[in-house]
Amino acid sequence: MQAVEHDHTHHDHDKEHAQAWAKALLLLGLGLYFVYNIITGNLANYVNARFGWLSYVAAGLFLLLGAISVGVLLRGPDDHDHHHDHDHAPLTWGVLAIISVPLVLGTLIPSRPLGAAAVEGNISLNSSVSTSSITTFTGDPLTWNVLDWLRAFNQSDDLGSFNGREADVVGFVYREITFPDDQFMVARFTISCCVADSSAIGLPVVFADATDFPADTWVQVHGTFQIGEFRGDTVPLLYADTIEVIDQPEHPYLYP
Amino acid sequence: MSEHPHKKQPRRHWLLRLAATAVIGILLVAVLSTGQDAGTILSIFSTRFLGIFIEAVPFLLLGTLASGMIEAFITPEDITRFLPRNPFWATISGAFMGFAFPVCECGVVPVVRRLFNKGLPMWVGITFLLAAPVMNPVVLVSTLSAFGFGQILIGRFVVTAVVAIAVGLVFALGAKPQEVLRPHATLPVTGGSGQILLKVPPTPRKPLLIGLRDALQMAGDEFFDMGRYLIIGSLLAAAMQTLVSQETLLALGRGPVVSVLVLQTLAFVLSVCSTVDAFLALAFAGTFTTGSVLAFLTFGPMVDIKSTLMFLGVFRRRTVAYLIILPLLMTMLISIWLNLNVVF
Repeated sequence: MQAVEHDHTHHDHDKEHAQAWAKALLLLGLGLYFVYNIITGNLANYVNARFGWLSYVAAGLFLLLGAISVGVLLRGPDDHDHHHDHDHAPLTWGVLAIISVPLVLGTLIPSRPLGAAAVEGNISLNSSVSTSSITTFTGDPLTWNVLDWLRAFNQSDDLGSFNGREADVVGFVYREITFPDDQFMVARFTISCCVADSSAIGLPVVFADATDFPADTWVQVHGTFQIGEFRGDTVPLLYADTIEVIDQPEHPYLYP
Repeated sequence: MSEHPHKKQPRRHWLLRLAATAVIGILLVAVLSTGQDAGTILSIFSTRFLGIFIEAVPFLLLGTLASGMIEAFITPEDITRFLPRNPFWATISGAFMGFAFPVCECGVVPVVRRLFNKGLPMWVGITFLLAAPVMNPVVLVSTLSAFGFGQILIGRFVVTAVVAIAVGLVFALGAKPQEVLRPHATLPVTGGSGQILLKVPPTPRKPLLIGLRDALQMAGDEFFDMGRYLIIGSLLAAAMQTLVSQETLLALGRGPVVSVLVLQTLAFVLSVCSTVDAFLALAFAGTFTTGSVLAFLTFGPMVDIKSTLMFLGVFRRRTVAYLIILPLLMTMLISIWLNLNVVF
């Protein structure tokens, strides 16, 4: 009995040692992943910039916890066994595999913001998400983004008053099969916390060579509004003079 | 028979494996049934999953750190010292003790167990057990970041306090400590000998540096304990958003009763730590009724698979049944009532 138990614990010790190293490296890896996201600006693909500081906290804590685990391992065998009261499940390879999922997805799959494919028909022509705050519109309307325009439409009683107003907006190209050849939507995702609460909004654009711009292309559209029919509603359509293909903006999402 | 931690492992692994298999199965079926190509789907899924993970994980780390600090530096005597003598007021203050001692539902059970050994009244402990996972500063900040200041935040804290105090008072009026707690947790309460001290030694205050090192090590351990639930939960939420059609979700999520039952079941199964469940709830907020989101955010922190397993180590089986059923029914009724009578 005694011998068997001893053998058992000896065998376990090697495994535990390997797992402890895996755990320490995972903590360091997660810390580096956060640092990487911060440096490359990929963070903006996932969360509202307002919460960026939380990722600094996460990066710091992961690196600290990882460094401590490495320190404990380097100092050699347990000089203190922590028999605290927490009901910890012992580390298993399964648990380690689960914890490594974000690291695997984050490094193997290229980081991209939500785009046209993520819209799946749920695109809003009004800013109902964010009408709670009555925005007073200041500044040059030419600097307004998609969300600002939709808010302005929402608060207006007479959409006809937008006829002839000039606009210059940035977004990605979004299209449904039902759209005529000379139309697409210049779309953005809005997020208030992280992509979990994302919703898509967009302005209908009319342009003779609209088909030149494939879905998901980031474009800067300049044009004037004219009331018209779109998906069965009467809304201001943006008749484009120029459409310029641009790089994806630093902050792909709009924050209501 | 003394409770040996390793005894529970097979059951836990079984549940964990089942959850992981379910995730993979759902993913495969759903990817095959959507029209888009797998690469695009995977990219969207990955962005959604990492979004929840990146937003939530700092709160999980802060929670585990707080829990580690409590373990290392706070002795249970610190907690009992400030409790009012009157049972009613003691129960009420039990609901707010979490603001002084931020613990999530996984950290709360060991703390309560040691508090019982220090002579904390059983019903106050039960109120603390149910309330503390929500009624604490970390959850306040995480819920605030996810939903802003509004009905969800207020509703979450009010409903939790009401249910926890009510259940505590039910136990105060209707049960004796020795009927509620497992024998080894009651000895001091029922005038037991000092034998218990062999199992749960009194906690001496640690020197600062050693305490700090222990706290950080415990935080690391606990991150692996809790992180897996966060990751599995986030995977499911992201999969649901990416793969389940909006119409299906609306069909489930618009019913004032069905939506509550669905999200309560999900809260129980997912077992996501209360410090971060607000970010998962965000994924449902667009399609599910506000009452059901509240049910998710109030019932989940009180009772889930993981905490049920821990309850069994402290309370008798019959008590555990009450600890599940009472919060379940109360949060269910409150949420359904809110859905039917309050225009959100």
